[in-house]
Amino acid sequence: MQKSGTQVASLVVSSTVGAILMIASGTAMVFAQSGIPEGFKKGELAPPPSPEMVEAGKRVYFTKCVWCHGVDGAGDGPGADRLWPRPRNFNQGTFKIRHTASGELPLFDAKKPIPGQNDLFDTVTHGLPGSAMPPWEGILTEEQRLQVLAFVTTQLVKDRSFTDKQSETQTILNLAELKPKPATEESIKRGAELVVEKKCIECHGVEGRGDGNAFNLKDDWGFSIQPANWHKCWNFRGSRQDPYNVANIFRTFSTGINGTPMPSFADSTTIDERWDIANFVNSLCERDANGKPLPIDPLTDKPKIDFVIPSNPVEGEIPADIEHEAWKNTPRRYVAMGGQITHKPRNFVNRIDDIWVRSLYNEKSIAYLLEWDDRTKSVAEGKLPWAPTEVNIDIEEQPPVTGEEGSIAAKQNHYPVYNDAIAIETPVKWQELPAPIKPRYLFGTNEQFPVDIVKWEADGSIRAFKGTGWDKDFEERDSYEEHLKVLKSEWKNGRWYVLIERPLGNKKEQDYDEDTFFEVGKYIPTVFFAWDGHNGDAGRKMAVSAFYYTFMNPPIPQETYIYPVLIAFGVVFLEGWVLTRRANKKKGKTL
Amino acid sequence: MKALMSLGALVGVVGLLLLAGMVFDIIPSTTIRLVEGYMPMQMLFEVGCFVLGFTGLSYMLNAMGMGIPRFWQGIGFWVFFLLYIKYRIYPPIPFSVRAMYGTVALVAVLMWLSSNEEDWKKFKQPILNVLDAQTGFNKFLRYVYLVALPILTWGFSYNAMMPKSEEPIELRTVHPAPPASTKVHGKTYVLQTALNPYRVNPEGKYDQEYTNSLIVEQSMGRLMKPNANPWDEKAEGYLKYVREGGEIFFQNCHFCHGDNLNGRGLHAFAFNPIPANFTDPGTIAQLQETFIFWRVAKGGMGLPNEGFPWASVMPPWEQHLTVDEMWKVILFEYWHTGYYPRTWD
Repeated sequence: MQKSGTQVASLVVSSTVGAILMIASGTAMVFAQSGIPEGFKKGELAPPPSPEMVEAGKRVYFTKCVWCHGVDGAGDGPGADRLWPRPRNFNQGTFKIRHTASGELPLFDAKKPIPGQNDLFDTVTHGLPGSAMPPWEGILTEEQRLQVLAFVTTQLVKDRSFTDKQSETQTILNLAELKPKPATEESIKRGAELVVEKKCIECHGVEGRGDGNAFNLKDDWGFSIQPANWHKCWNFRGSRQDPYNVANIFRTFSTGINGTPMPSFADSTTIDERWDIANFVNSLCERDANGKPLPIDPLTDKPKIDFVIPSNPVEGEIPADIEHEAWKNTPRRYVAMGGQITHKPRNFVNRIDDIWVRSLYNEKSIAYLLEWDDRTKSVAEGKLPWAPTEVNIDIEEQPPVTGEEGSIAAKQNHYPVYNDAIAIETPVKWQELPAPIKPRYLFGTNEQFPVDIVKWEADGSIRAFKGTGWDKDFEERDSYEEHLKVLKSEWKNGRWYVLIERPLGNKKEQDYDEDTFFEVGKYIPTVFFAWDGHNGDAGRKMAVSAFYYTFMNPPIPQETYIYPVLIAFGVVFLEGWVLTRRANKKKGKTL
Repeated sequence: MKALMSLGALVGVVGLLLLAGMVFDIIPSTTIRLVEGYMPMQMLFEVGCFVLGFTGLSYMLNAMGMGIPRFWQGIGFWVFFLLYIKYRIYPPIPFSVRAMYGTVALVAVLMWLSSNEEDWKKFKQPILNVLDAQTGFNKFLRYVYLVALPILTWGFSYNAMMPKSEEPIELRTVHPAPPASTKVHGKTYVLQTALNPYRVNPEGKYDQEYTNSLIVEQSMGRLMKPNANPWDEKAEGYLKYVREGGEIFFQNCHFCHGDNLNGRGLHAFAFNPIPANFTDPGTIAQLQETFIFWRVAKGGMGLPNEGFPWASVMPPWEQHLTVDEMWKVILFEYWHTGYYPRTWD
């Protein structure tokens, strides 16, 4: 007893001494490298690539890159005017994702394709999610990726030089030697306090959904730019196809993002504080019910999609409180949203790229709880110049070639503001469609196979329509709207929470030609549409999902318990038969 | 011989370790990437390597006196194959297809095992031993099987009968039969005879051979031929039209079909099925140029009834583009993927 007491004491003493030593050496390091932010070290510019590499890179560039980045690398290729964010203009040498101090050129060495030590190579390899830049790994070889970068850095970066030691310095974030701090509750809590103290939330919003100061931010080229939404880490430009890796956040926070309002916090935070903040930001990214990172689909670098939206039964009224047990126990589904780019006016930039959906049903109705991030609450001022049923309304589509001034990037935040809105489309008479049961996607097929559309708008309205084709005006269903209920609609800190209840159909008084009949245990094709009012979304300018299925979970049938037992008994009999036969055969008997 | 076999054994062990890593999710199955457009060949090659590796491994073990009985070799290889197609291949193949491949592999393994009478006997022996149960161990095994089999069957069937909400499987015709002719912008095009008006040499003559010689190279990266740059200011005829087609592609099509024409554009993640991958040898490389023209002009809505369900949001491009623009985009797509359009003869 005494002995172990001494052991503990000596352990305490030695660890204290160790801690003091560590702190002392840490301070010494800071002093020794004065002028260099904590965690950084001095680096050297890489030697210039060979002329052969540059020449080979030109061939790669003019096959793959020129279409967006342009002949002179000014980010003005043929595809540029319909993209937001616009393709990078290389001329200024301003690159966003780096391991180097704020304002410096990124790391690039044409001979060292080492992950984490070659920023431009990593960018080309992994792409920039949330923008049109795809990952080029598996398409271009490692050598081709280095070649094209040799061409870009020597020929297309014009205002700066990757080889001029007079004008350029390299101060490198020493990420390989900095051990991430474990994401303990304490660390995350401290991070939550620090993002307030360091004013992160002024841009990124109180809940980190990128909704603070969302209108006024501009990048170096004068285009609107949005603060990152911390809840969608797979859209972080610097996520390097590894979105839940806290080191990526630590890096971005330490180096800042050149050309954007995101500064480097290297001088104003200690390494420890930076890990706390990174841990906190990482903890906000969407996770599954068990708190595990969402599985990411390597083909799309977005969360994997489950196309079945299960709806759980409830007794009595469907709870309007989204914190209710029944809602908490219902699995939620990630519904991916793309721009409506089939019919005019096409929506090349959709600002709503996913919706989280849950569903419950009782004997009379089914309810959908829809949650989606929208940085801006938009309610149109005054009366809209078209009727709610009108489909072919006067909304301009972005022309293909406009130059920078007229480009889609320049128009951001200058659109007339309409209502935020959401709609659920289900086919009418899906039982009669040949399997698998789907009508045409957008607003129904024709008079014979129409769709049932329930649309909620941010002005508080809820309407029901019958759609008979993508270019056909909706038909209103007045009496039906009395049965629709909005149990909740709230915009809070960059997120909409909308809870819509609708009748199941299946009842005699319901109209089979206009209403979708929801049947338990069947797959009901379901499409979601979303409009962001500040994106000028209205009519067909909207975000769309693919076909999902609403599946109302049935109670477990009796047969499930009976048949397997019967089958098992059958196997026992079979075994007996085989063994008897074998035994008889050995004895020389025949059956 | 021995050195060769040791090498084979090494390959086998390394391969098995890699696969084990993928099964237990330690190594992501994308570590060694399946190269786009070459997946079937790469798979065959990899399985071939494994077979060679196993041959070497088996030889080495035999030489060391630790040979594996035929019975376990057969079962082991079948299990290996099932694991390979389940965990190696991404995107995952549906269970029904895996079951088919698994059955074929089982038949192949049985054929290999029964290729001569002696091998077949060796294979059957362990089964018969358990059935006859002469020794104490075999008796024990027999009782274990007697109890375990019914329980397992019960478990599997119970699992199978529990109501589940899995996405229903969709069958659809990928390349539905085209009509004989199609009317676009008021003009009728007969698919058998229509020609891409921009597939021309610098003199302006329709020239399949000339244009095919200028497409990108079918090697890794699919880069343009040196001295055949569509962005060359002096480019004329075919190459000039390729550039114009590319401009249209990157103003309209890349949002879904992607910067590398592989069906992974900006909006692709939201769609099901994801947009067509033109770099895959099963898409435009198999089709005539006029078929593409019809699909481009009429889009998902123009699919015939056998194309049901119309799970395609491909726009009828006649709503957005002129006939000339569509032909140029098609020209560009063949140029950029390095494929020849199929011809009618």
